[in-house]
Amino acid sequence: MTPFDYHRPETLAEAFRIAGEIPGARYVAGGTDVLVRIRSGRERPNALISLGRIDTLARLELGSVTRIGARATIGQVLDHPELTSAYPLLAQAARPFGSTQVRNLATVGGNLCNASPAADMAPVLLALDARVEIEGPQGTREVPLDAFFKGPGQTDLAPREVLTTIVLEPPGPDARSCFLRKSRVGMDIALTSVAAHLQLADDRLTRVRIAAGAVAPCPLRLRAVEDLLEGRTVEPGLLDEAARLAASEIAPITDIRASANYRRRLTRTLVRRAVAAACEESR
Amino acid sequence: MSDCRHIGKARPRPDAADKAAGRTLYINDLIRPGMLHGKVKFSEHAHARIVRIDTSRAERLPGVRAVVTAYDTPEIRIGFLNDNFALKRDKVRQFRDEVAAVAAIDPDIAAEAVDLIDVEYEPLPGVFTLDEAMAQGAPLVHEMDARGNPLTTNELSLRYGHESGDLAVAERASAHVVEGRFSTQLMQQSCLGTAGCLAELDMSGNLSIWARTQIPFLAQRDFTQALRALGLPGRNCRVIVPALGGTFGTGLDTHAYEYIAIVLAHRTNRPVKILYNREEEFANLSPRQSAEVEIAQGCDREGRLTFRRVRVRQDNGAYGSWGATFPTVMLLPVTSLYRVPNVSFDARLVYTNNTYCQAMRGYGNPEVTWPIESNLDELAEAASIDPFELRMRNCNEPGETTPMGLQVTTCGLKECMEATAAKLDWGAERRARRGVGMASLIHVGGSGRIYRSDGGGVILKFDDFGQINVSYGGVEMGQGLHSALSLTVAEALGVSPDKVTINPTDTGTCPWDVGTHASRGAFIACNAALAAAEKARAQIFAAAEEVFPRLALQNLERYCVQHPDYRAPTFDLAAAVKADRFELADGQIVLRDAPAEPWLKVDLDRLLRAIHFRGSRGEVITASAFYEPQSDLPDWQKGVGNMSATYAYGAQGAEVEVDEETGEVRIVRMVAAHDVGKVLNPQTLAGQAYGGLTQGVGYALYEEILTEQGRILNPSFTDYKIPTIREMSFPVHLEFIETDDPAGPFGAKGVGEPGLVPTAPAIANAIYDAVGVRIRDLPITPEKVLRALDARRAASAGKQTSTP
Ligand SMILES: Cc1cc2nc3c(=O)[nH]c(=O)nc-3n(C[C@H](O)[C@H](O)[C@H](O)COP(=O)(O)OP(=O)(O)OC[C@H]3O[C@@H](n4cnc5c(N)ncnc54)[C@H](O)[C@@H]3O)c2cc1C
Repeated sequence: MTPFDYHRPETLAEAFRIAGEIPGARYVAGGTDVLVRIRSGRERPNALISLGRIDTLARLELGSVTRIGARATIGQVLDHPELTSAYPLLAQAARPFGSTQVRNLATVGGNLCNASPAADMAPVLLALDARVEIEGPQGTREVPLDAFFKGPGQTDLAPREVLTTIVLEPPGPDARSCFLRKSRVGMDIALTSVAAHLQLADDRLTRVRIAAGAVAPCPLRLRAVEDLLEGRTVEPGLLDEAARLAASEIAPITDIRASANYRRRLTRTLVRRAVAAACEESR
Repeated sequence: MSDCRHIGKARPRPDAADKAAGRTLYINDLIRPGMLHGKVKFSEHAHARIVRIDTSRAERLPGVRAVVTAYDTPEIRIGFLNDNFALKRDKVRQFRDEVAAVAAIDPDIAAEAVDLIDVEYEPLPGVFTLDEAMAQGAPLVHEMDARGNPLTTNELSLRYGHESGDLAVAERASAHVVEGRFSTQLMQQSCLGTAGCLAELDMSGNLSIWARTQIPFLAQRDFTQALRALGLPGRNCRVIVPALGGTFGTGLDTHAYEYIAIVLAHRTNRPVKILYNREEEFANLSPRQSAEVEIAQGCDREGRLTFRRVRVRQDNGAYGSWGATFPTVMLLPVTSLYRVPNVSFDARLVYTNNTYCQAMRGYGNPEVTWPIESNLDELAEAASIDPFELRMRNCNEPGETTPMGLQVTTCGLKECMEATAAKLDWGAERRARRGVGMASLIHVGGSGRIYRSDGGGVILKFDDFGQINVSYGGVEMGQGLHSALSLTVAEALGVSPDKVTINPTDTGTCPWDVGTHASRGAFIACNAALAAAEKARAQIFAAAEEVFPRLALQNLERYCVQHPDYRAPTFDLAAAVKADRFELADGQIVLRDAPAEPWLKVDLDRLLRAIHFRGSRGEVITASAFYEPQSDLPDWQKGVGNMSATYAYGAQGAEVEVDEETGEVRIVRMVAAHDVGKVLNPQTLAGQAYGGLTQGVGYALYEEILTEQGRILNPSFTDYKIPTIREMSFPVHLEFIETDDPAGPFGAKGVGEPGLVPTAPAIANAIYDAVGVRIRDLPITPEKVLRALDARRAASAGKQTSTP
């Protein structure tokens, strides 16, 4: 492992200043992605800037909107009963995430900023219509999560910018949801994951959001599936049609974990099962 | 031995507390004064000529103490086929070939220096599959054999076979015959403790090496040869085995990195440690061999097996290790699992430019039990006989001699299969997509002779405090050997197990042992310990004739002072004291012919001191014994010979549920029933059974080293998947059948390897029972299951449309 300097600013302003002074420096939150890459030699930053002491980044607030600090760990999300009861999807994604040790370190912001196509918090946050707040030396801005991912490992963040907060609207009175994920064994990168979030009233599906992970360069919303389901009642054949449509919206790859074909099959099955399970979920 | 005090009772193993507390010192923790850190430069090609190695930049790096290549060090040949070299010269034959090495003052500098070594290669065409390697005119991995004779083929010269009965006649006479092709994958041993060693030479050239080895004495022989190559003939080589975090067969060979550490230590005059990180362990050590197997079995109308034909081809990789002798163990199930009168076996190994392979738990046995037991279920279906019933009709029995010439003394296979079926509710109605399957095993249970001596020695040393130190040359690698050994010594000498300490394994202090393989550790060590204990008892009792009366009378005096009313029974002490009438029990020596008076019991430590401190007649008690099991070295080409003193049997069963839309297999529960002869320590035995089963589940469903043109694609636990607690959270029922084997210590058989042998076919058979698809290549991934289900659905759809 090549040596690097380590900085621990206590404010964002200080973090921006250090980042400005050391080109090639990188932010680090839990380090569960960054340090793995540094150890394997895939990344050789000359300095790491820890976000660990900037406490404004760790807030968790439920109100007219819900604000999840980027530095909240997966474990903190899982252990927050109000948050997980308002958004069961968050718990469903957080529960099988890595191991206890990983959950204690890994942050929600890190998961998004790392921009892995397989990041587990991405599909659920996409299905919840999350927005992200970004702060940089030039000020603050907000973008829909949907527009945040630009490619594998690539985000909308400009150099020096920090993701500060994930913002969620209230779940809605008739909200139903389900997150399903498949991997080879318990601790593994997802082969495919699907999150469904929708409103179900009078047998009718509205505000349907379906997102998938690990089947395209970025975690993505399956908009054709959403459009198909929007406003419909669940009738025989509808979910099969949705599943077929889902397979046409994704662009999975073949790698050592699975073939593109298998990922496509899985996505179809998971879309059908996730929507069905969401509809059956009793509230 | 039904009245055992310690044998058969659950007791935490002696190393448990220190391991749990992180106090145990592994190779990683060892530091010697002045120690340097070695690092190996590996090949960047699967097959290439070495044109030039430029080490100058590495040599100039501050902190580097030596850079070595084959061009500036004596040639050291390694491997039992002598086809491998510590450092490679002229050409590389696999990605992991060692082309250079560095010793530096810290590991980071060593790693940096290795990156500064420039090697120029001229790539050569390689062979990466069995067919490529065996094709006419294929590039040769080795142009010459170890003696310098030219080679014309990639096939190894090793031959393994077996022919018994008349196969053609038997096949024609069979009512049902089923054939099939099966394959198994490369599997990583996945030791928690990665490979490493520390080599140190003294000023006279004597070597001490701390090594992750299972064969300290064969390693001593190998390293002594290396010393000779370095110009140090006749020097002493001492192999010391520190605490090991698992070996699973990786310690059966000596490895290039060990010789490189010796070369670097010799070059620098400093102790040198080489420690592999996880990626190096994955990419640069040998995994378990893969196998391609063709099988045919037949039976008569009643389901009695008529014949079995097995053809094995194995991709050996670029060099030979003991892994190339897997077929020696394949012979056991092929010739002797169930009664089958006509058997034909042939195994061939082929050099390729893939990573070379080595031993792993089970040693060839799982590779062929997988096709035998899968194919047997197919045969049962063809014969319309329940698979359990078919197995029972062909079950081995005590007293039989198998086609290989194995003499079956005790055999609990029937009981194992019955227990498995019972615990699985065999034959019960099940939900859709659920099914059950079972498979059995035979393995060596009384060591396995592959060398002219298959024995091991034990030394017992008693001290003035009644403590007994035990020296044995085999290896505790996590399996619980020291637990079995300490319980055995305690039982045999009537002391508490706390009084027994097992010394670290060290060729300098321990008697010779062939190595810890073939599930032989406890079987050999405990048998040798029992023999040594017998000698110790004889020594102690002979001396006790002299010292016991005095000690007993001193006891009596003190006792009378404490109990003034006590009247000692009239009893002729002098007449009762006879060497052969003493007994050791509860840490004391007693006389069998004496009344049970408290003063007639003497504490062992006091007795030992009295034996020691008696002027010129003083003695300290030590006893040693060497145990050589009764077995024959088989003729491998004929595949005949009674290779073990006894045989272990077992059966496993699985209930699974298959998701027909994803192909996922969920294990609902499993049963593992093993004929262990006798339970020595139920705790460590359960550990071996659960651990073996877990590796068996990994072999069946998840684990596989993937390669592309010789390069390993998944050299990490991120990409190579072993089962986690989430996969293993199903109930496992263990059943231990005690057959009380006459050759075993207290009746025990070897238990180390059987646990993973029948797991994969048991699961595959359950999958077939659940959803009607048979997978023939391991591991059984969801993708393969789904593909098979698709094919079946397509076929049945085709059938439907073709019927008018
Ligand atoms: C054993 C193991 C198991 C894992 N299991 C899973 C799993 O099941 N599911 C899953 O999705 N992932 C898993 N991961 C991956 C990883 O843990 C997650 O992606 C985690 O959420 C990353 O968060 P972190 O805080 O550790 O990120 P870090 O490693 O600290 O950072 C990741 C990246 O994001 C950047 N960054 C972090 N925070 C910010 C911020 N606020 N603003 C701007 N940039 C930022 C960093 O510069 C870096 O580029 C696993 C990793 C390991 C080692």
